[in-house]
Amino acid sequence: MIRRVARRLLFGLFTIFSVYTLTFLMVVALPGNPLQQGERTLSPEVAQALRARYNMDNNWLYYWQFLRGALRLDFGPTFTYTEWTCNQILASALPVSAVVGVLAILLAVGIGVPAGVVCAVGRNGFLDMGLMVMVLVGISLPSFVTGSLLLALFGVYLRWTPVGGWGTLAHLPLPVVTLSFPFMAAMVRLTRMSMLDTLSGEFVRTAVAKGAAPYAIISRHALKPAFLPVLTYLGPATAQAMTGSFIVEKIFCVPGLGQHFVNAALNRDAGLILGTVICFATMLVLFNLIVDILYSYLDPRVVGAV
Amino acid sequence: MLHRLLLLIAFFLAVICWGHSRSRLELRADLTYVNPSDIHTLDPARMSWTTDFRVALNIWEGLTSWDPETLHPTAGAAFFPPRVSDDEGELVFTLRNDARWSNGEPVTADDFVRGWRRGIEPGCAADYAFLLTDHITGADEYVQWRQRWVSALTALVRLRDGWDIDVRLAGSLLDPEIVLNLKSLGELALAQQLERLAGKPDDALGPAIRELGAGWSRIHSELLEVHGNRLDVEFSRVGIRALDERTLTVQLSKPCPYFLDLTGMPVFLPCHSSIELLRERHGRAALSETGLVLHDPQWTKPDYHRNGYPGLITNGAFQLTEWTFKRRARMAKNLFFHGADAIGCRTIDMVVYDNLNAALMAYEAGQVDLLPDLTVPYVHELVRRAESGERKDILRCPVSATYFLNFNCRSRSLNEAPNPMSDPRVRRALSLSVDKEMLVIKVRARGDRIAHSFVPPDATAGYVPPKAPGYNPDESRRLLSEAGYSGGAGLPPISLLLTQNDERLGQALARTWERELGIRVELTVKESKSFSEDKAERRYMVARGNWFADYNDPTTFLNCLASGNGNNDSGYSNAEYDRLLDEANRIADPESRFQLLSRAEAIVVQTDFPIVPILHFSEPIAIKPYVHGIHANARLWFPFRFARVSR
Repeated sequence: MIRRVARRLLFGLFTIFSVYTLTFLMVVALPGNPLQQGERTLSPEVAQALRARYNMDNNWLYYWQFLRGALRLDFGPTFTYTEWTCNQILASALPVSAVVGVLAILLAVGIGVPAGVVCAVGRNGFLDMGLMVMVLVGISLPSFVTGSLLLALFGVYLRWTPVGGWGTLAHLPLPVVTLSFPFMAAMVRLTRMSMLDTLSGEFVRTAVAKGAAPYAIISRHALKPAFLPVLTYLGPATAQAMTGSFIVEKIFCVPGLGQHFVNAALNRDAGLILGTVICFATMLVLFNLIVDILYSYLDPRVVGAV
Repeated sequence: MLHRLLLLIAFFLAVICWGHSRSRLELRADLTYVNPSDIHTLDPARMSWTTDFRVALNIWEGLTSWDPETLHPTAGAAFFPPRVSDDEGELVFTLRNDARWSNGEPVTADDFVRGWRRGIEPGCAADYAFLLTDHITGADEYVQWRQRWVSALTALVRLRDGWDIDVRLAGSLLDPEIVLNLKSLGELALAQQLERLAGKPDDALGPAIRELGAGWSRIHSELLEVHGNRLDVEFSRVGIRALDERTLTVQLSKPCPYFLDLTGMPVFLPCHSSIELLRERHGRAALSETGLVLHDPQWTKPDYHRNGYPGLITNGAFQLTEWTFKRRARMAKNLFFHGADAIGCRTIDMVVYDNLNAALMAYEAGQVDLLPDLTVPYVHELVRRAESGERKDILRCPVSATYFLNFNCRSRSLNEAPNPMSDPRVRRALSLSVDKEMLVIKVRARGDRIAHSFVPPDATAGYVPPKAPGYNPDESRRLLSEAGYSGGAGLPPISLLLTQNDERLGQALARTWERELGIRVELTVKESKSFSEDKAERRYMVARGNWFADYNDPTTFLNCLASGNGNNDSGYSNAEYDRLLDEANRIADPESRFQLLSRAEAIVVQTDFPIVPILHFSEPIAIKPYVHGIHANARLWFPFRFARVSR
């Protein structure tokens, strides 16, 4: 087990390294000058001095320098916000996104999985149809619509929550709910499908024949195997939710990580682009690994997966 | 299994709740305003955004300050006005006896010299260094000298590390002063070899120098030290001098009637001596490896304490007490400020809302008192309500800025093809068929003022800008056929370069041109960085442009069209125009100076048409009615020391 995990970690490192290299190439290929701010043209002397300061006049040097830093978990300076290092920005933004993301995923699992089970058990019934329509709406409605509606209703009209920002518990519900909608919808569908599949299995028929109570059949026998596809989805979904959603953060002005993915690219802020991408890649690798480990607990058949 | 999972989740929720309850619930500040983007930098030497200026001018105070309504220069940290020597070449500023830093120490003339020096030092300096180098004797020469050395030292660092150097860096090592210094260091052989390389072709120079294989590391540290020792001597030739603790003299390189308007700007702010604790030092020189003056960029944070640094110390009406990234900056009244008793707000919060729609909702919900940017999709509706008197809390600031079109005036552009825009008749034809009224009132509908000149008419008292001819499609068609493009025949498609913000305006403009002149227009819409690059590389025939006044004088606009100016995006060059600007530069009398400038502007807006001014911005802002003392001024700076809140 430990050897397998170590091997996976090694592969993970390689993946992150490749992602870094590819991103770096794209950053180099980007048109536009990160040192230029606003409409004014930089004088060549100042531009040269600044480029030399950041080693940007030599891509190769910059590539290794950044990598060396990244290995020590130091992502260097930012060009757009010079007073803040990439580390400080990541350290202030990642926990925010992580809290919103984890809560959103918990909410999505907490509501999505039971709803999926209910749908599967009463398939094609009234409840199933109703829930599936809601799921369809949940998947189709973009976050900026649901988010704006929630904000207008609870923030401006009812004044139950503050309008945007961060810092108190009252700031949490709206972004969490908005972020969880698409995940929740996906989980209802996944759980329903795999639950339907499991319920038609032979071992379920055996359990029914032995006279087990319906609740026990669903919770003890069927749910565990039916949960596996959901778990597969949970890994990348958690990484995605925890590293922030640009749209949800933008609507609610949440100071999370999502905005930096977009803004750093728009600002051509090489350090921050690389920092955020490495951060995301690392989390993705880690969560996939965790999911695989959990897999072998839930389903002894897939020991080889790790 | 399920129970354990639930337990884990409950634990996690408890941790989140605990974490959030620990972030202390602070009282709302007396005044809260929105900044849509967070502060880009608080370093006065480097800042160039209005949003940053707004913070800086509230926490620092320059020699002069501005009237909050009219923006006329008034007394700041120095008595007003300064003493002027007979030939107006020298100004003598005397600091107030009670000018204090936020830690109680007196503000000295040396603090100003330090701040201004940072404003031009390579490594600290940025966009606004020109305000110092253009006006102060010896400043430009000092910067040029520094730049040459920085280049040479950068080259030596690269050679020391075994990297190739490009032509530019290689050339800097052949500088006579560098060679001379090498000789005096006893590096005779190397100096002679460098002298012999002077005639080499460009691409061979770098490798040739690399092959010399001298002891680059030793040479680099020796030259760095030599240079470091010369710095103060060379700087003493710059016309900024601290005569004693409270007296500062400034030697102007040319008459500058608007200089007292400049002395309050961020590059002219003082800098507390504690910054030297964070200076980067290499070897025995107080410089970075490449000869730059570098301070730890985090010096502007109130809670930064490396090397015993006390945190940011400022001399303005407020001091920064908290700054969290992309969340908030809190300013508190500076008790040592000379006018502290008259300050109405104890605390000011700058909160970051990068979504202005949410910011407006927060404003409506009363969480925010001042919203200085209303760029929301429905801004025209807000402006309409403000105009009809329905929303008295929405004011419009007549910003001293112009939105215009640049014509690419170079004879060749896009892929080296001939450029029809180099013909003034074509430019004139196109500009006469720009229906400004339609664009400004119907398309943009933000209450902007239609522009008939490059310099906004009410920007500088005493200056009357010449008026550009109005909308005249008939004349426009006549000119086009005169230029040989009758009915648009023979004219290549006009490439119109825009950013995402002005796409609608561009479409309306293109439609008018196509309808009236029979020409074809190709719209290229780019995001702002790519746009800037395309504009800089001249990949356009017509491009949008805008210019915000840096100071209160027509030259802030007109200089942009001088030959070779870094912001001359159209590539326009007219000897007569340059001559008039030059002549105006040497005259101190405001009236005849303005006449010359007006003649120069007439060349632009009535004869040559390198640009078509379209509008002068009117920025709508929202201020709660219970906030008094904040005025809709032309630069969108709000001195909060005059603000009073009566909720």
